[in-house]
This record gives sequence, C-alpha cells and structure tokens, in this order.
Amino acid sequence: MANKMKSRFVIISIALLLLPSMMQGQPATDDLVSSCVLTAGDNTTYLKDFRVQLPAAAANAATPVYKANMYLMKNMKYRFSVCDAPGSKGELTITIYDQGKQLISSFNKSTGKKYGSIDFICNKTGLYTLWYDFMNGEQGSGVGVVCMIK
Amino acid sequence: MTGTISKLVTVILLMSVCACGDNSARQGGLSFPVADSVPAGEAVKLSDEAVADIVQNIASPVEIAAILQSMEVPFSAEYLAPTQGADRLTTNFQKAVMLGIYGADLGYLNMYEKTGNSVDVLSTIKRLADGLRVGQYFDFETLKRLSVSKSNLDSLLFISVNSYNQIDEYLRDNNRGSISALMIAGVWIEGQYLASQVALGNHDEVLRDRIGEQKIILGDLLMLLRPYRESSAEYTSLYNMMETIAGTYRDVRITYRLGEPETVEQDGRLVMVQHEESIVEMSDDQLAEIAAISKDVRTKLIYGK
Repeated sequence: MANKMKSRFVIISIALLLLPSMMQGQPATDDLVSSCVLTAGDNTTYLKDFRVQLPAAAANAATPVYKANMYLMKNMKYRFSVCDAPGSKGELTITIYDQGKQLISSFNKSTGKKYGSIDFICNKTGLYTLWYDFMNGEQGSGVGVVCMIK
Repeated sequence: MTGTISKLVTVILLMSVCACGDNSARQGGLSFPVADSVPAGEAVKLSDEAVADIVQNIASPVEIAAILQSMEVPFSAEYLAPTQGADRLTTNFQKAVMLGIYGADLGYLNMYEKTGNSVDVLSTIKRLADGLRVGQYFDFETLKRLSVSKSNLDSLLFISVNSYNQIDEYLRDNNRGSISALMIAGVWIEGQYLASQVALGNHDEVLRDRIGEQKIILGDLLMLLRPYRESSAEYTSLYNMMETIAGTYRDVRITYRLGEPETVEQDGRLVMVQHEESIVEMSDDQLAEIAAISKDVRTKLIYGK
C-alpha cells in the first residue's frame, strides 16, 4: 500500500514538473501570428488573425474548412495573408465569399499557383465569409492575418 | 525598409512578451471565474457559430482613425473619454463597456501617434482588464514602454489590437459572451461618437458613408446583445439605448450597384478590385440626429446620466 502511494506520488510529481515545460513546448501561435504580420509587408496595419487547425479530408468527404465571417468596409483596402505553422503538412489557402459567391482565392486551381497573400479593394460594406482550408485536403495548421493597407 | 525593420522589432517584442509576460493566470494560477451577472441558463445563448458569424470586425477603431487621418482631421483630445473615475467602476458591466470605450480611444491615440498621451489610458485599461480577470492578455509594461519611447508604432498598434482580439476570444471561449458583447458595444459606441462628431464639422463622403453603413452593423450588434438584455437593469438599459440609435437609422437608405470584380497580379500578389458598390443615402438632418443620439448614449455610459 505504502509502495503504491509512493509510486503514485512520484508519477504525479514528475507530471507536475514536466507540465510547464510541455506547455512551453506547444506551438506558439502568437509567434506565428507576429511573423505572419511581418509578411504582410510595409504600410499595413494588423486588424485580425485566425488560427486554423484542420484534419485531413476523409475519403470521399468534403475538404475541412475553417469559416469566419468578417465585416469589410467600403473604401478600405485589405490584405489577407496566410502562413503555415512549422511542420504543417498542408499549405493554407484563403477564399473570400460574398453572399455565397466566390470573389477571390489565394489558390488558383486552374493554374495551380498559390499566393501568400491577396489584396482586396473593397467597395461594398458588408459581411464577407473567409474560408480557410489546406491544399488537397491535407491536415495542417497555420494562421490567416487580415491587415488594412494604409 | 523602415516598415520592415519596425515589423521585425514587432516580432521580437511579441516573442519577448510571450516569453516574459505574466502568464500566471494562463498557467493555472489561483484564479476563480468572475460572476458576470448573467445567471446560467437565463440568457438564451447564441450558438458558437452564430456568435462567430457576427462578432468579427464589428467595430474597428483603427479603421475609423485611418479615415480621419486621410481627411487630415487633426487629433483632438476632447474626443477622448475621461479616465478619472474609472477606479470607481464597480460592476463588470461598467468595466466591460469602459474597456471597449478606452480601447477605441487607444486606437485613435496610437493611429495619430499621440503615444505619450496614451499612458494614462493604458493604465486605466490595465486596471479594468485586471478587474475582469483578463489582464493577462494585456501586457501593460511593454505597451507603456513602446508608448513612452514612441519608437515603434507598428509594434504598439499590433500588440494593442492583438490584446483586444485575445481578450474577446478568451471571453467567448469561456462562456463570458455577455462581457465580450459589452466590450464590443463599448468599442463601437466610442468609434461611432468619434466619427459622427468629426462628420458634423467636416464634410467628407467617405466618413459619412462609414457612419451610414453602421445601419448594417447595428443589426448584428443588437443581435449580439439581445440574449443578455434581460439579465440586469444595466443590460436592459444599454440594449434599449442601442435600439434608439438603430431607430435613428430607420430612414437611412443603403442601395447596391452591381459590378463585376477585376483581378490583377501586382508584385506577386493577387489584387481584386471590387466594382460592386454600396451606396448610402443619408441627409444632414439624419446625420445630426444620429450624432446627437450616439453622443447621448455615450455620455450615459460614461457618466451614468
């Protein structure tokens, strides 16, 4: 009984000792956000970020998508940047929809070209839907950053 | 080049914030949930998806400040909410609304590079955030250092806006949507006050459009507040005041002109120019009424009368 108690105490102690270092070792999405803001370039002001983590698409199933609705304003220029987390299998892409109609995507399926960011010169204030997904339905994690272009 | 260096400094600063900040609350320090005056189950909660649908970018003070800058409207400290008396705020309702109001003021100050003036606002925000147990997302020391040194505006803007985003996310993730909604309402009303007061003295179509377009956004803001409106007398009063503002928009017309978007590649980036357009029709009288009621609501929220 005493031995059992002792071993349980040792296990809990080790777990408590390791926990802080394990927490430190978790992917620091804040670092990824800040480095992604950097890729947005000069003359931009950060507005919002979206942390995206998606599983791989199941066979014969739709590609998993992270959706967020965001107000975009007339007379403003926005830059949408996407950055992959280190070790992410998939490459993050963004597609902007206006009331179900696709406006622009950072991945051109017909040419296979992928852009790290897209600019949107907005002339209609409204609620737009941002779709984040990973190319070819792969599992992945990354961040999307929205900036205002000055 | 300067911007890139600034942003590099931002990254380094943020990393140091993450590494050195006071993480005690995040890492399980002895903290207990604060009662937010909304009894469990009383509020008809919005689904997570619905909340996510309506809260992103409802109120962005930096965008309004950017419009004022483009109009070359000079900075005026008279538009700022007074920080005296913030210590006397007792309820979480008051703290959350004022946290939003001061957040909008901080955006205005920073965009105009009046960073030396912002230390007082920063201190007040820190106290309110601590009072709501979300102070761990607000790195006062770093923000204060950046404000005083006036060294890196990009970092200052990024860290302050990011702090508010994180606070909002944390509150929603922890079933404190009522507090998040109040903070967003505070940011919105201060931005609305600032924009409408400037518009009264400066004719500018872009700014007028921005005020008129709030008709679209107000509907969602009301939807965000609605589940909690019966939770306390303060909440009921706020909701009714916001409905009053919405009423002033009754005859503001928003129409749409169709157009096909144009996409070009510039410097390796894909750029889309939208040719569909929203058009606001708002008379001077309507603007004056919107400005007056918005000011009245803001005064009641700040001074309680």
